[in-house]
Formats: sequence, C-alpha cells, structure tokens
Amino acid sequence: MFNQNNFYSAVFAKLKGINYPLLGLIITLFFVGLAALYSISNGDFNSWPLKHSQRFILGLIIFFLVIFFDLRLIFGYAYVIFFLSIISLVIIPFFGIESNGATRWINIAGISLQPSEFVKYTLILALAKYFHSINNDSSFIKTLIIPLIITIVPVLLVITQPDLGTALIILLGGISIFWISGLNYKYFIVGVFSILCSLPVLWQYLKDYQKDRVLTFFNPERDPLGNGYHIMQSKIALGSGGLFGKGYMEGTQSHLNFLPEMQTDFIFTMLGEEFGFIGTLILLLIYAALIMISIRLALKSRSLFSKYLSLGVCNVFFIYVFVNIGMVTGLLPVVGVPLPFISYGGSSMLAVMFGFGLLMNCYINRNIIIEKTNY
Amino acid sequence: MKKSGKFIFQKYDTENLINRRAALVTIAKAGVFSLLVGRLAYLQIAENGNYKKLSDKNRITHRFLEPERGIIFDLQGRPMAINKQKYEIIIIKEETRDVEKSLVNLKSLLPHANIDTEKILKEINSRKKFIPIGIIDDLTWEDFSKINVNIHKLEGIYPQIGFKRYYTQGESHSHLIGYVSPISKNEEESNPLSKLSTAKAGKIGVEKAKDAILRGKLGSKNIEVNASGREIRELDRVNSIQGKYIQLTIDSELQKFCYERLNGLSGSVSVINVKNGEFYALASSPSYDPNIFSKSISNETWENLLSDKYKPLINKSISNQYPPGSTIKPFVALAALESGVSHKETFFCDGKHLIEDTSLESGYKTFHCWKKEGHGNVDMTRAIKVSCDVYFYQIARRIGINKIAEVCKRYGLGEKVFKSLYEEKSGVVPNKQWKLENLGSRWMVGETLSAGIGQGYFLTTSAQLSLALAQLINNGIRLSPKLIYDNETSNIYNERIIADPRYLKIIKNALYEATNAPGGTSYRSRIIGKYKMAGKTGTSQVRAISIKEREEGLIKNKDLPWEKRDHGLFIGYGPTTDPKYAVSVIVEHGGSGSGSAAPIASDIFKYLFEKKLILKRNEIFNV
Repeated sequence: MFNQNNFYSAVFAKLKGINYPLLGLIITLFFVGLAALYSISNGDFNSWPLKHSQRFILGLIIFFLVIFFDLRLIFGYAYVIFFLSIISLVIIPFFGIESNGATRWINIAGISLQPSEFVKYTLILALAKYFHSINNDSSFIKTLIIPLIITIVPVLLVITQPDLGTALIILLGGISIFWISGLNYKYFIVGVFSILCSLPVLWQYLKDYQKDRVLTFFNPERDPLGNGYHIMQSKIALGSGGLFGKGYMEGTQSHLNFLPEMQTDFIFTMLGEEFGFIGTLILLLIYAALIMISIRLALKSRSLFSKYLSLGVCNVFFIYVFVNIGMVTGLLPVVGVPLPFISYGGSSMLAVMFGFGLLMNCYINRNIIIEKTNY
Repeated sequence: MKKSGKFIFQKYDTENLINRRAALVTIAKAGVFSLLVGRLAYLQIAENGNYKKLSDKNRITHRFLEPERGIIFDLQGRPMAINKQKYEIIIIKEETRDVEKSLVNLKSLLPHANIDTEKILKEINSRKKFIPIGIIDDLTWEDFSKINVNIHKLEGIYPQIGFKRYYTQGESHSHLIGYVSPISKNEEESNPLSKLSTAKAGKIGVEKAKDAILRGKLGSKNIEVNASGREIRELDRVNSIQGKYIQLTIDSELQKFCYERLNGLSGSVSVINVKNGEFYALASSPSYDPNIFSKSISNETWENLLSDKYKPLINKSISNQYPPGSTIKPFVALAALESGVSHKETFFCDGKHLIEDTSLESGYKTFHCWKKEGHGNVDMTRAIKVSCDVYFYQIARRIGINKIAEVCKRYGLGEKVFKSLYEEKSGVVPNKQWKLENLGSRWMVGETLSAGIGQGYFLTTSAQLSLALAQLINNGIRLSPKLIYDNETSNIYNERIIADPRYLKIIKNALYEATNAPGGTSYRSRIIGKYKMAGKTGTSQVRAISIKEREEGLIKNKDLPWEKRDHGLFIGYGPTTDPKYAVSVIVEHGGSGSGSAAPIASDIFKYLFEKKLILKRNEIFNV
C-alpha cells in the first residue's frame, strides 16, 4: 500500500504532532501512581508497582496505536466500535467473571477486562459521530431518539451488573456531548426535573448494598463498622495527614490496613495521608492542567466530530477525577470509581489511555475536514 | 439569530456555540475543583487536630497483661497452689465488626470445642466493649496452633497464653486453700483485675482471704494494631507484677494424713501447735477436686456437689458448728475451780438429776446422765475421766451460765479463730444476755444444765475446740492462732495468763486419766509407748430424746438414720509429758466420741509422734 519511506515519514509526522506537555502530564500521573503503589505494597516493587507499570506500557501502546489510525477511519467505524463494546457488555452475564457480588469482567486471552470502562469512550465516539452528522437545523424531536437510546442502553446494562458508579459516569459523559452539541437549555431543565421525579422509582431498583451506601453517605456515623467505615477511615487518613503529611511510606492508616481498597479506589486517601494538603493540592493542579490542556487541544480541531470526541473524553476524565476524590473526601457516596492513571486497575488504565489516544489523534489531525454521513 | 425554542438546537454560529458551551463546562469544572480543594483544606488543615487524635486511637490499642498469681506454700516450703501455662481464646467486641460471625468461624474451626455462643454473647453485651471476653479457657496445643494459622478469619478473636491455677495437693487441701474462678459482678468494683475478663479471683479459703495479696498487679502494653486488630508492634509495656507468695502453717503431709484418716467420713480434723498457735492441719471430709474449677465446671458436677448430703463443699473445720458435748467439760470444770468449787468435792450420781419445773405435771424435770445406772460418788477428776453428766449438771447449776460462758469465751469459743477466712463461723457461747438479745426470752435453769454438758444453745467449730484446748494445755497462755505467715501477725504471741496454773494442772491430770486410766472414756484409744496422748471425748445430740423414748429404751445410734445419729467429738493433746500439739476431731453423726473420733485422734498422734514430733517452718522468701 505504501512504501517504507512513506510509512516512516508518516510515523514521524504523527510523533511530531503529539502535544508533549499533555503526554508529559500523563506520564507524571503514572509515576505518582507508581510511588503510591510502592508505598502501599510496603516497598515491594514486584507486586502492584510492577503490574501497574506493565499496564501503563500496554496503555501507551494502545495510545500510539490509536494515534496512528486515520481519524476518518475511526469516524467511519465509530458505530461498529460502539456496537462491539455493547456486545461485550451484553455477553457479560453469560461469560463474565463474578467478584464481590458483581459481574463486571470478561476474560479475553487471559486478561480480565471490564468492558464498561471502555464503553465510556465508545459511547462518546458514537455520539460524536451522530451529532457531527445530523443537520442541526432539525426541528424534529425524533433526532434525539437515536442518541438517547444509544446512551440509555449501556447505562442500563451497567446498572444491572450492578455498577452504579460506572453507569453514572457513562450517563454523564453521554449527556455532556448533548450539551456541547448545543442542545437547547430547556431539554436539560426538563431532563433534570424528570430525573428528580423518577428518583423514588429508581430507588426501588437499587440493590440493598447500594441503598446502604447512599444512606451511609448522608450519615456516615449510621454504621461506623459497616459501610460508614470506609468513609470514616478515609476521612481520618486524609485529616490526620495535615498540611505536610506523615511522610512517604509513613502513613499509619494506610500501612496498618485501616483503609479499604487502598490500592484502587482509595489511593488518593493514602497520598493525602502521606503528603498532606500540599501533596493533594499539587495532584489536583496536575489534573487541572491536564484537563485545561485537553480543552484547549479539543477546541483547535476544525471538525465537529473531533471537537465532540475530544471534549467528551476530557469530560469523562474530569468526572472520573471528581467522583473519586469527592467519594474519598466524603462529598459523594462510595460508588467504586478509580482515580485515573493512579489507581491500580488494568481496564481503567487501558481505557483512559484509549480515550487520550482518541483525543490526541483529533489534535494531530485537527485540520482534517470530515464529511457528514447519513448516520 | 433566530428565536430559540423553535429549534431543538440553539442557533448560534456553530463555532461560537461550541466554544460557549465548552467555556460553561470549563467554568463548572473549575468550580468543582475549587470545591474539592476547599474540602481537602477543611479536612487536612481545619480538622487536622481531630483526625490526628482519631488516627492515633485507631492504631494504638491498650492491652492489659494478666499477672501471675502468687504461689501458696506449706510449712515446709512445698508449693500447694501453683500456676500452669494454658492456651486460651478471647474475643474483643470493639475489634470485630460482627461478633457472631467471628464465633461461627471459630466454631467451624473447632467443631468439637464446647462454645456456648449465647452465654458468650450475653457476657460480651454486659461488659464494656473493649474488655476481652474469654471464649475457650483451656485449649490443646493442636487447637491453639490451628487458631493461629487461621487467625485472619477470626476478626476480634485472639489466642493467648494465660495461667491456670493448679493445686498440687488435690482434694485433701481444697477447703483450706480454696479455688479461683472468674471475677463475679459484685467483685468487679473492688478488684482491679476485673478489667481482664479472663482474670480469676479467689472464691473461698485462703485464695479468697488473701486474694488482694495473691492477685498481683495488672500490667499493660500499648501496641500498634492494624484494622483487624492484629498486633504489628509493641510501643511500650508495663510488666505485670506477680502476686506475693504466701506460706501457710499447714504441713501438707500431715494435712493429707488427716484427710485420708477420715477416710470419707463426714467430719474434720484440726491440729494446732500448743506453744505458738500455728495450725498444722485443718482437714475436712468429704472433699472435691479443686482443679475442676480451673476449667469451666459443668452444671451437673456443680449440682451434685451442692446436693450431696455429706456437703463436700463446706469446710467442716471452720464453717460447720456443732454442740461441743462433753468436750466442754474441762472448761466447765475450770470455771467451777475459779468459782471456788474444790476439785475434791464429790457429788452423787444416780443416773439422773431433777430440777423443779412447775410447768410440768410432775413438778420437776429430769436430766439424765449418759450412764443410766449412774456413777456413784464422783469428784472432778473422775467426772472428767468418766464424763459424768450429773456432776456437771450440779456444778453448772452452782456456778451459773454466765461464769461458764465467761471462761469459754476467754478460751476463744464463740469467736472466729481466723479473722481472714470469710466462710468461718463464730459459734455460740450462750449466756443470759445472749438469750435475751437473740431469742427474746429469759434464761431457764434447765438451760444452764444443758450448757454444762455442752448441749443446748452451745455451738463450736472444730478449730475453736482445738485452739481452746491448746491454750488450756499451754498453761493458759493466750495464743495468736495462725494459719498464714504474713506481716500482720508476727510470731510474738500475747503472754497473758488466762488461768491459774494450779487449776490447769488438775484439769490436765483428769484429761490424762480419761485416756490413759482404765475406765476413761477414751481408754481404748490410748497410745502405749514413750509418748502418750490425753483428751476428752464428746457425743453431741442432734435430736431431742422424748420421755416416752427413754421409757421404751434408747434406740441405738446404729439403728438410726445417719443424719439423726449423734456427732462424735474428741479433743486431745500430746505428748502428755511435754505437750506440743492439740487435736480436735469431729465425726458428723459418728455415734459417739469414744467410738468414732478418739481412734482417729489416736492415729494422728501416733503419726505425729513418729514422724513430726518437731515441726519447723522452712521459710519461703518472695523474690
């Protein structure tokens, strides 16, 4: 198809086009995660830190692979990719792996993957293509039917796993595309209103443990040895960290196992305990910088598809960070959302690298004009 | 710009619309980030102090350390109550999220163990949540290591090494030494060890009397723990202090001999040194194995012990009271001598003594001598030797109850011998005032006569009788009765003379005759050889004998049901040449003193003369 010289020059062009400050921040966050996991495993590099590094390298490979694909090709297969990810969600009840009462994983070639992590980005991809392709002069409400369906279906599938946290992130990520595409305010007002009204009905469908978590969120002292335990211990760890922290690898809460899920969802707590407010502030600033750069890069694209996709990825990433930190600081209920690039977890690492690969691809190909298709 | 509302998408120029919407989202994000920063500042800076305290509390746990109980030694320095290591399992409510689940897991690990979940839960809920509650008291090494291996499944449950009390002398010493068992509710306040539910306290005997000394002092340690309460490292420690050692005056070999000589009969033996008041034996029979109490005792075993008609749980040497019967006669005789009665004065015994009693049809009441046909003319020596009741009716009537009571009290009757033993009874020495106060009625002359032969309201314990005799034999020198060597009672005893030596010589001589001259009540039990014993028998009635029964002929003791037979008593001393020991033997419902008690006393003296003529303390130093 192409000769070797063309291939190398194309690769070189792509590599040259990458925004390195963004990649630099991603790698910085990875190292923060590595340091945190090293502390949690009490200085044993061969356990979590090693696997975390392997996953990040795998993530980088995915990142570059996504970059090297032609953006138009991605645009063309957007629905197919989305459909495949939905299929993987659908087959979970039949082939999935159960853990802690939830079935979220499937085994592909010996690797356990959590398809719901990827669905966050494939949904954005599908919605971006859809809103890119429609004529926004449309005055027909039916234009909204398809995007609503492709948003609701994965959300419902993930809720039944059950995984409330991921479902909410998928939903919010999807809604953010509706918003950016310029949908009239009044639909959002109607939407929020109807969700509020249907809350009592939704409540009936929640599992007991989910209800417990929500109730405990509003009153952590309700059950200090049960669900409130996580929140209480997390707040104690953060609060006792103070301004400067207890010092690297000196966190008593973390190292004496008072923190639950310390290497995954509650890793921020451990950083807060060991590095204090200064540490958490710096970490938040890194995340903020990453998000600001992402927004800036997104808005440089000429095509709507690229803008929607990049902003969507950026929004999902933001929601991740907010829900995780909100959760461990007691602002939000405990819903089981990892901290991107830092928490130990394969699927979330690969998925977020996939997302940023898409964002970077859009940036590199920011001047490409994509024709509208008949969705 | 067209009016919105007609279109579902807002009609700006697309580029501007997206920028506008993205800007709004960015502002929202900035707002949310500020919220997070604010929240972190609140938690980590404003509330830092509070959370720091909570965090320290989280990781530092205070544990109490059980002290080892003091050891109890006998006179020769032989340990009688020691501590053995045991493996035990405890649970701390505060350190488990689900007590029942932990217990269920424990049960599945040790299916054969006897774990009463209900009882444990009750105990847990009635105590403060940080107090460790014992689940299994004494575990085999195999089970103990099984628990250690599976410890991660047992939140809040800890295996630990504790102490169990072991009594080397077994049942022969159980009443005297007592036993320990878990601290009860009403002892909690006064016992600092109650902070440890696994700690034990003395329940009876010396273990209870000296519990405060024996128990030692709790130690404590602060340890760093992880979330499931496992110890990570020790931060500091104050070692527990072992309880003080205690040495008793009891010679455990002698005690054992006495117990075995009782041979299952219901009764007691007391042996006292007449020179210094040290008790060398205080045996009570039947008995129980004190080591069953170091494990949790089954209800059935306990019920059986309680309902046994021979009352194995009661220390019969100090807690059971008996009418002294004829063993009181030496003291009544002493009272008579002090009241001016000559020992040479004779009284005539025709088998009965009459006193006026207008309430009866005949106008008089008859008091019988144990010998129906009478003793003829008796003086004091012979009266004691043959135990003539009529003689004592007459002198009792002459000197009056208050004089008898005064002498008896002076020799220690009617008051506790060992102030420290909680279960000890004081006995009763009746007089006019006593009757008025306790029964609300006037003293009757007939009651003086009954008291003169140790019947009626008179009640004594075996230990009292031996002490009374020892003081009488030791030329009336008051003795400080001693069971435990401690700082409170030194070896110095009060030298107060409590009788005229001339009188005591008369009494001693009479007692010698009673055992060593033909016709004496305990002549059959005399010891032939270099060293001799002397003493007085006693047979105390436990039932009133009606006139009708007397007319029809007395029923022999052996034909009566056990609990209606007379008690057999004997008090004696020896060697007669240079008295060292006084002994009192009581055989409950033994029929007669000469038949049941005197032979036992005789064997004990033989043993003492042969093996233990001189008993000396082998001092123990508490290190």
